[in-house]
Amino acid sequence: MATSAEAPGGVRAAKLRKTLLGYVPIESPFYRYHPVTRLIMFVFFGVVPIFIDMPEINFALVVCTILLLVWGQADLKRLRIYMPMIVTIAIFMFLVVILAPGNDPTFTPIHIGPLTIYYQPVYFTFASYWRLMAMLFGTILYFSTNRERDMLVALRSLKLPFLASYVVGFSIRAAGMFMEDFNTIREAEQARGLDKSALKLGDQVKLYVMYLVPLFSIALRRADEISHALFARGYNFTGRVGHGNKRSDYILTQYTMTGMDWLVIAVLMTLFVGAAVAEYGFGAFRLPHSPINILLHHLLGLGWPS
Amino acid sequence: MASMASTASTQTNVWAIEPGEIRKPGIIHVVILALFTGIGIVVGTFGSLAVPIGFVSAFWPGQAVQSIGSIWFGGWGAIASFLFPLISNSLSGSAPLPVSIAYIPGNLAQGIIAAIAFRIFKSDPSLRTSKDWIVWILLGAILPNAIGAIWGTGVLLAFGLVTSAAALTTVLGWFIGNSIPSIILGSIILKFVSPLVLRSKAFCKGWWA
Repeated sequence: MATSAEAPGGVRAAKLRKTLLGYVPIESPFYRYHPVTRLIMFVFFGVVPIFIDMPEINFALVVCTILLLVWGQADLKRLRIYMPMIVTIAIFMFLVVILAPGNDPTFTPIHIGPLTIYYQPVYFTFASYWRLMAMLFGTILYFSTNRERDMLVALRSLKLPFLASYVVGFSIRAAGMFMEDFNTIREAEQARGLDKSALKLGDQVKLYVMYLVPLFSIALRRADEISHALFARGYNFTGRVGHGNKRSDYILTQYTMTGMDWLVIAVLMTLFVGAAVAEYGFGAFRLPHSPINILLHHLLGLGWPS
Repeated sequence: MASMASTASTQTNVWAIEPGEIRKPGIIHVVILALFTGIGIVVGTFGSLAVPIGFVSAFWPGQAVQSIGSIWFGGWGAIASFLFPLISNSLSGSAPLPVSIAYIPGNLAQGIIAAIAFRIFKSDPSLRTSKDWIVWILLGAILPNAIGAIWGTGVLLAFGLVTSAAALTTVLGWFIGNSIPSIILGSIILKFVSPLVLRSKAFCKGWWA
């Protein structure tokens, strides 16, 4: 799972780790932390924006996750695949709120040439967009810096039942296998002289659809082979061995929690609970407290936001 | 139609348990759950990235995987149908984890309705008769996607990610974007791969085996 380069002694030393979304150097600071710590970081960045309406804080969370990606030496070029999604979501959200703002008489109209937009729904959409972006970047951070193995270790360390952790880990690996099979079939067709560039768009679509038949057939055959292999190794639903004892888990012995892990977890959990209490107990992160909202209210002569 | 009717009359019920046949869930079902989840992750991720329209995709073939997985593998396929979007949505960036978790009932519906319909109406997953086709298109693609689209839009509303004024557009985008690829891809896969699946040990006549 790691790419390697020629080391001075002729030994090929691994330099990079293949994560779920790209490659990260083995010496990335993220790998100093236990996979559980990284999973909790994912939960924090992925969920805490739910408690926060203020776009300034959610924007700060986006910046924070990008800085963490830079610190973790992740390849930021990979983020380009998200650009169409990020742009189209913005277009969709703003277009809809401009074309169909609702008919609340308390909304403040703003005339821009022939166009009339309404301040409140547009600002709400602006805040929702940044909340969504903060959650998405939290997810991207985790999948860019962690492998399927890290997820497996984290889930098993958190005492998730063997069956569930096995399914999650193997599913992600199966996605990779499915892609490899897809490439094999495609290359086999090219080796037989198929020139895809000469195909019309409709024929290319048909071709992709027809790939699914051999892919599913391979998956079925593989399910048989893997289940036989697991049976031969004594695996069962419970994750226990024949005499009823718990199966020893080699992979977990390779990771240990350090004081720094506990500190990071404590800080993240405190911030998480604090954010939830501040929002639901005191409404601390609601839109009336948003500095941009306050500023725009004053500029538009709307008084104090409520 | 006459030949179709005669085909239907000679059709064997693929869901019937043969005398002496014992079916129990086994490791192969867990493996197929994981493999199918993996397939769903790839298909769902590419679908979400291919033609995104805001939160929905104009072409999301993942629903075909949800329906056919549940038809072939019963409860295991149904689990895969809500498990893989949790990961594929995260990888594609189309929905963050909390939203994907809230989608679970909708995704489960998108998978399990077809499984229930095929078992109740004793339809053949290889789509041999007109009845099989009707059950597949109406109850395997259209109804599940209608329910999924309504649920999914409700989730987006609850999270404040769309306004109520945008709800209808989102429902329609979701429904059309899921239904068309489901009918096209799902029909091809069911027609050509089902004969293989029906002979495999992983096929579930009941819910778990």
